[in-house]
Amino acid sequence: MMKIRLSRGMIDVLSGAASIGCFLLLWLALTRHTGLGELIPGPDVVLAALFKGLFGKVGRHGILVHAGYSLARVLAGFAIGGAAGVVIGLSMGWSRFAEAVFQPLYRVVRPIPPIAWIPISIIWFGLGESAKVFLIFLASFANVTLNAWSGARDADRQLIGAARMLGANQRQIFLTIVLPSAVPQIFAGLQVAMSNSWATVLAAEMVRSSEGLGWMIVTGMSNNDIVQILSGIVAIGVVGFVLSVAMRKAEALLCRWNHGGR
Amino acid sequence: MSLEPRRPVEHVIECENIGKSFPAPGGGRREVVRGITLRARENEFLALFGPGQCGKTTLINLIAGLDSVTSGRVLVNGETVREPGPERGVVFQSTAIFPWLTTMGNVEYGPRMAGMGRAERRRKAQRYIDLVGLRGFENAFPVQLSGGMKQRVGIARVYCNEPRVMLMDEPFGALDAQTRYLMQEELRRVWEAEKRTVVFVTNNIEEAIYLADRIVVLSNCPATIKREYAIDLPRPRNYVSPEFLGLRKEITSIMDSTL
Ligand SMILES: Nc1ncnc2c1ncn2[C@@H]1O[C@H](COP(=O)(O)OP(=O)(O)OP(=O)(O)O)[C@@H](O)[C@H]1O
Ligand SMILES: [Mg+2]
Repeated sequence: MMKIRLSRGMIDVLSGAASIGCFLLLWLALTRHTGLGELIPGPDVVLAALFKGLFGKVGRHGILVHAGYSLARVLAGFAIGGAAGVVIGLSMGWSRFAEAVFQPLYRVVRPIPPIAWIPISIIWFGLGESAKVFLIFLASFANVTLNAWSGARDADRQLIGAARMLGANQRQIFLTIVLPSAVPQIFAGLQVAMSNSWATVLAAEMVRSSEGLGWMIVTGMSNNDIVQILSGIVAIGVVGFVLSVAMRKAEALLCRWNHGGR
Repeated sequence: MSLEPRRPVEHVIECENIGKSFPAPGGGRREVVRGITLRARENEFLALFGPGQCGKTTLINLIAGLDSVTSGRVLVNGETVREPGPERGVVFQSTAIFPWLTTMGNVEYGPRMAGMGRAERRRKAQRYIDLVGLRGFENAFPVQLSGGMKQRVGIARVYCNEPRVMLMDEPFGALDAQTRYLMQEELRRVWEAEKRTVVFVTNNIEEAIYLADRIVVLSNCPATIKREYAIDLPRPRNYVSPEFLGLRKEITSIMDSTL
């Protein structure tokens, strides 16, 4: 059993590496042998710049520090937005009153994309960290709220009946039935929120900041430094990939009961 | 109602002329239970035997307090039933065990809600897990269990909560014949070891004769009581004894006469 699982994981890793390798080779061949080479540098140049940036500096910091800035902003806003979304969404799904209070507000705010708030956030919070954290809060809040709300509202009536027949009171029903049955949906919401947050931090940094991966890309643009732009993009892809893997691992751990014990 | 007369309880369950109707999809109402009067003594094993969709689950829900009567009333231990409570345990037709809890978590749920300490309730739950033959599966989640094992979790969960009354809604309906026989035998053993008042819904006549002290035969929808049979054969009963077969033939024939 263990052996099969390991080798399946290996196959996934190998085929992933192979497809990325093929893509890099194609990119290399096209830049070497076609006109594409005049538009963008080859992968060898970008990867070399990336490595140099890891140990040296791009602007005032190394690439790792830039990624760290972006990541810290995302995690702060995501933690606040996720927590607020879970609390408000669950209370909307559990109590008619909370639903009546929050629903109209939620319906109006939700369709506004987070980047539309950038000017207001700068006016309200200035150019510092709080403006960016506020934007990421907005980017993560809506999806988590929606999913926690529907997860709590759709809790199985029969399971609630079973809990009551076993003697659970209202508070216990909320904690032992409504909350766990909403967890898978909450996690789906957190996953979307995480990728929204990641997109939003880059946009916010591109508008106004002096560090971060978004800053790397815009300064690359204003200096006409396409290598810096591309190495920023690759770094963004890598961090985004790591974040989504981490979210999936956390979900697999918390929703073990939902996955046939895998 | 505080004016309700307090009298010595002769019957643990009393359904007094109860009726239930639901709003029908095309407007109007659909009557599902009509004028049922039913009593069960302490520790009596009562089987409700009726055709499919006749209103058996509805009747169980009314006694459990999961649904409310439209006429008549249900008394358990002499008190009118208004909502579900821990003295009336239900084994659901669809199991309704908690998917995010392990076997242990499901079985210890009732005592945990009642505030029993961890060590004590674990010990208690373990006893019922052993009783239904699930030792070794304490830490398995429901997705990892077969249909029959889930039903056993549902049974152990209710036993562990020590209800005065157990309402079992076709607990073995989803099982294959082989497992069904095993479970019937197990239930008989468990019930004889720890007597309870049981209302056991089934659409399998052999199961009813094998287990019950008394069989109440229900009509097609709306459910009414057609006939009652007291079964006073000694336990464990023999499925092929002449008395068993005679009863089976008699009850089957009155079912057929209405179809
Ligand atoms: N909540 C409800 N609303 C409307 N109609 C209902 C409801 N519950 C049950 N019914 C109807 O009542 C009838 C009897 O249902 P019930 O589940 O009690 O039957 P049953 O005898 O348990 O059936 P089965 O043998 O399939 O378990 C069905 O026709 C069903 O459509
Ligand atoms: Mg039923």
